[in-house]
Amino acid sequence: MNTTTPETAIDDFARNLKAVSGHPHLVADHVAAAEAICRIIADAAPRCVAVAQIPAAILARVEAHCAEHQIEFLKEPYPAGDLPGLIDRAEIGITGAAFAIAETGTLAEVCTNDAVRIVSGLPRTHIGIVDGNQMLLQLLDAAPRIREAIQEHPKGVTLSFISGPSRTGDIEMVLTLGVHGPETMHAVVIGGGHGE
Amino acid sequence: MASERKAKLEAAITEAIDNPKQRNALYYCMKRGRDKRTERLDTMPTGAAFRPEVKAIKEKCIANQDALLAQFTANAEARGTKVFIARDGADAIRHTLAIAEEHGYKTVSKSKSLTTEEIEINYDMTDAGLQVVETDLGELIIQLVDEKPYHLVFPSVHKMRDDVAEIFSKATGKEVPPDIDEIMRVVRSYLRPIFLNTDIGMTGANVGIAETGTIVIETNEGNARLVSSIGKCHICIVGMEKIVETVDEALMMVLAHPVSAVGQMPTTYVTWMSGRSPLGEGGENRASHIIVLDNGRTRMREDPLMKEALHCIRCGACMNICPTYGVVGGHTFGHIYPGPIGIPWTAEVHGLETAGDFAELCISCGLCKEICPAQIDMPTMISEVKRRDAVKHPPDFTTRLLMAAEPMAKLGCAGAPLSNWSLRNPAFRWLMEKATGIDRRRELPPFARKTLVKRFNARTPKKTTDTPKRRVAFFYDLYANYNAPELGLKAIEALEAQGCEVVLPPQRACGYPYIGYGALDKAQDVAIENVQHLAPYVAEGYDIVATEPTAAYCLKVSYPKILPRNPRAKQVAGRSFELFEYLMEIADDAPKPQDLAGRRFGFHCSCHQRPLGFGDGAMDWLRRRGAQVEFIESGTCCGMAGTFGLKHGPLGYDLANAVGEPLFDAFKKSGVDTIVTESSVCSIHLKEGTGLEVVHPLGLL
Repeated sequence: MNTTTPETAIDDFARNLKAVSGHPHLVADHVAAAEAICRIIADAAPRCVAVAQIPAAILARVEAHCAEHQIEFLKEPYPAGDLPGLIDRAEIGITGAAFAIAETGTLAEVCTNDAVRIVSGLPRTHIGIVDGNQMLLQLLDAAPRIREAIQEHPKGVTLSFISGPSRTGDIEMVLTLGVHGPETMHAVVIGGGHGE
Repeated sequence: MASERKAKLEAAITEAIDNPKQRNALYYCMKRGRDKRTERLDTMPTGAAFRPEVKAIKEKCIANQDALLAQFTANAEARGTKVFIARDGADAIRHTLAIAEEHGYKTVSKSKSLTTEEIEINYDMTDAGLQVVETDLGELIIQLVDEKPYHLVFPSVHKMRDDVAEIFSKATGKEVPPDIDEIMRVVRSYLRPIFLNTDIGMTGANVGIAETGTIVIETNEGNARLVSSIGKCHICIVGMEKIVETVDEALMMVLAHPVSAVGQMPTTYVTWMSGRSPLGEGGENRASHIIVLDNGRTRMREDPLMKEALHCIRCGACMNICPTYGVVGGHTFGHIYPGPIGIPWTAEVHGLETAGDFAELCISCGLCKEICPAQIDMPTMISEVKRRDAVKHPPDFTTRLLMAAEPMAKLGCAGAPLSNWSLRNPAFRWLMEKATGIDRRRELPPFARKTLVKRFNARTPKKTTDTPKRRVAFFYDLYANYNAPELGLKAIEALEAQGCEVVLPPQRACGYPYIGYGALDKAQDVAIENVQHLAPYVAEGYDIVATEPTAAYCLKVSYPKILPRNPRAKQVAGRSFELFEYLMEIADDAPKPQDLAGRRFGFHCSCHQRPLGFGDGAMDWLRRRGAQVEFIESGTCCGMAGTFGLKHGPLGYDLANAVGEPLFDAFKKSGVDTIVTESSVCSIHLKEGTGLEVVHPLGLL
């Protein structure tokens, strides 16, 4: 039986995300987060990276990395007329999440523009970023955060719980990743007493 | 002569039995779902405690559906979503086509939605000139070959990689090798332009939330995120019963659904849409529609015996455990909604006649109820569907005969030993098979010349103290009375040895065959009579103890359910026990003679015994006497299902054996010397299927 406590929450998140084929990165601060992301980008060697609603300090560093390595870098604002085709060019999509859930290895992305959803939903690789202090212990703890997000955005808002990459078992029950969206999913957890 | 309908069903069963490749795939799919569920429940601090919570939420929300629907509609519309209440499928389709026509939409990308399958909207949209593509891989596979879902969660589980490669070779015009990774690459590039150029993104919803006007969509592939975010217009078609009141309640569904389906928590992508957001900067407002489908749901809510079907959260767990579904699959055991829950749903939304085509596949083992996250009593609902169907299609002679087992047993006893000689005579059994439909290969238990009641009354009355430890009214049922009175006497003696005073109250056999075969009214008559007999004993402080697991199940579970307004049925249920559960409860802790030391038994728990404690009482009783006991199961029924496996033909003996194969193999591989079971009918099936000795624990006394 697994019981998550505040002390073990971030480690539990990491373990539970790994169990659903995700890759956790526990880092101390925004600088370390940007470094972790740049390493992922360097390993994947993409031609194009797209980002949406990520912390400014991380954005600047990742953008600089991409510029240095001649990687096309897409960021907000995304003109409506260019979507969804523009983001479809990206091989890596990076988005910020509002909170996470330790028990299930889940990132919760809250967005009021669907460009964010396709940045995390179309590319082969998705990197989600979350503040380790926004870690809920259990799935059922999420109700107040969901309600709050909905009430804060009376015109429309979409929350996406993301627990690992796109998966299917539709052929012979063989687990296969990336049938539509991300084949690889990383979660970068900042702070909360951890560092890589 | 079999009806055309039955002949068709039997032909489909035979075809399924003769297709081991497909059966193995389905068996593996179901077993994996069950095993993963169990693994997950073991890791959850509260285990399966969500089940009564889900049931309570669904009960409350269905009872308040009108108010919740109004609240949901108001909150969704406040966020710019247009909500349309469709009274039936045609209404929903008309509304969808009107939206498409008004805006000149040409393409529709769908994510998996059983509600849209229910109304078969794809055909109408295609006829109207729309290009409709299912984007869930399993749904896409069956769409390309124009088939219905084989399984609720895994609609294309019957298609192997070779089949799928061939399907995509045809769809793309290029040779696709039968390699899963390669097929995935093909699917990804096949669907990508379809996602990107979607006019209408169509989804279902797993939950609607009244307090916020939110819809919740779960997918593992992430396709619902793409179709709902990219499409110029989003149309969500959601069954009315999916609306809950609060976010907390929705979260409970989000937990219960994938845990029950495949032991996952939660589904990889859970999308909570509250109104629709723009896509990029400077674009126009994008349309958002929710179509709430009634299609008979309001009527179901008013039907006391069917309204529980509205509690279904579409997890598919019931079909993961259903023994006969596991052999024949969803094309035979289902119309659009497959499996156990598919029977009441089909009866209500696609008609009684269609449900009746496959309702007989339910053998009333009750396992679906035990696994259902909403604790839906499917067996009773299915029994009612059979009863309603029987008005036009009366049960065949064999079924009527098996329902009337008690008078037959009385005749058998009266005619013993001639009746027993006949049962052992091959020529007689051949004739009997032709005349009655009871398979001649079944070794039927002999009838006793003197019934248990006669032998009990004839024995020297047991001296009882003025203050017996317990007072027991023994419920012997059919087998112990007519076939194995020595077993009944051993049970009585075992109780007396523990200081109980035992009496035999007047009673009828429990009547479960009436429930199983759909004569719910007759089952109620038996239940009323037995409750009338037993309630005065309970009032005087007697406990009711039964040896046959199904009889104990009837007393404890079925009677209060089928006699909901009879308080005495609940009183009887509250004081009814399965024999070994009871013996262990009253046993002292003194060491027992180790006369079973060195014996290694494999224990078979009958389906109806599972909710009564999984046979723990009997296993503990044997272990305390030195025996080594292993609980051996296939995870589902042995296939006998009472008298079902006695019937000759595909819808009986053949299917029972196909269901039993994995269990027979498990026993044979286990190396145990003897099988122990408390069920008289499972015992026959296991003996024939394994060739091993099968005994009742009382036989080891």
